Amino acid sequence: MRRAPAVVVASAAGLAGIVAMHAGSAPSVLGGAGPAAPASPSPTATNPPSTTGAATTAVGTSEQYGYGTLAVKVTVRGSRITDVSVARLQTAEQYSQSLAQQVIPLLRNEVLSAQSAHINGISGATYTSEAYAYSAQSALDLLGVK
Amino acid sequence: MGTVVSFHVEPGECPAVDARVAVASACARLHELDDIFSTWKPGSPISRFRAGLLCLEDAPPEMSLVLELCEEARALSQGWFDPWAMPGGFDPTGLVKGWATEQAVAILRLPRVEAAIVNGGGDIAVLGLPRDAHAWRIGVRHPWRPEALACVLETDRAVATSGCYERGPHLINPRDGRMLFRTASATVLGSSLPLCDALATALVVAGDDGPEIARSLKGYEAYIIGVDGKEDATDGIVFATERAWTTGSRPGPVCDHWPGARSQAPVVSRPQ
Repeated sequence: MRRAPAVVVASAAGLAGIVAMHAGSAPSVLGGAGPAAPASPSPTATNPPSTTGAATTAVGTSEQYGYGTLAVKVTVRGSRITDVSVARLQTAEQYSQSLAQQVIPLLRNEVLSAQSAHINGISGATYTSEAYAYSAQSALDLLGVK
Repeated sequence: MGTVVSFHVEPGECPAVDARVAVASACARLHELDDIFSTWKPGSPISRFRAGLLCLEDAPPEMSLVLELCEEARALSQGWFDPWAMPGGFDPTGLVKGWATEQAVAILRLPRVEAAIVNGGGDIAVLGLPRDAHAWRIGVRHPWRPEALACVLETDRAVATSGCYERGPHLINPRDGRMLFRTASATVLGSSLPLCDALATALVVAGDDGPEIARSLKGYEAYIIGVDGKEDATDGIVFATERAWTTGSRPGPVCDHWPGARSQAPVVSRPQ
């Protein structure tokens, strides 16, 4: 069952929150605690987040969207969400298939890991769709982030 | 809007309880804006406006604000961002996500939160500066490698990125209505996140004209990756160069076309 995917969690550095928006969503649910109190993992979580700073990752369910299927991956460090990205993407589109088969041009910073870089955030084009929000929410559920 | 918005808040002198209330208010506001601007919801004001069932006078006041921003973005982008030229009717999606994210950070400003960063599906609005740092460090997602970054930028302003790896009706060439990918990724920095968002989309569909348009934009900076992997950046773009932003780095390949902003580009192997 799909519930209103709005969550706020605390982090050691202050407050972090995440809200996923999709059709039929209810008003925000505010969870969370003070800066010193990490969010407690859900008792049903299969992969509860560590509070010692190690990164924990979960991939959400594969969801249909306008151009194929996608699955969203969420990374949590302690109780802080550090990245949300597309883990799996299958598109029916001819262009995407040809792009996947071509030789990928080299960038100067080839394969700079998003997880090892000391950064405050990641800017990137995202798949703006209901599927993205649903899959992200299921990954958050797996991580026990409420 | 069908996306995910994350908050990172450093309350500073602001009481933690006030900061939490502000984050809750910002979340509630995002849901309100989603209800107005979701083109996925047939009954939303934007859907009814597109269908000609709602006139501007009867629409929520936010609609007029967004329309004005769309007009500004269309003029700034020399017509490459044009929500009125989208198939299916007026579609401001390429700007609304940035606008809503900016609205969320504005709410955090009220209780005097010291620093915050709100990431609305890759569109980043900032408030203040992180503690002990002179700038926010924003990774730009690699256009072809989901786990990787193309670079890390330093900024005290908003950041938006659009790319050909994205799928959405706003990546349509307004001049002929076809989906067009001539640029792999365009990142725009500036004071207004909705305009950064729209301009990033415009630079992607403008292709070869993108760099010239980018340099015509006063108060905005741009970082562009071509479909051939060539990178271009306006003079005001600041790349983080320290080794500190990676672990286990080694020097990257030499790249002749690069304007020289980055001296030693580190390369990192596989993410965990």
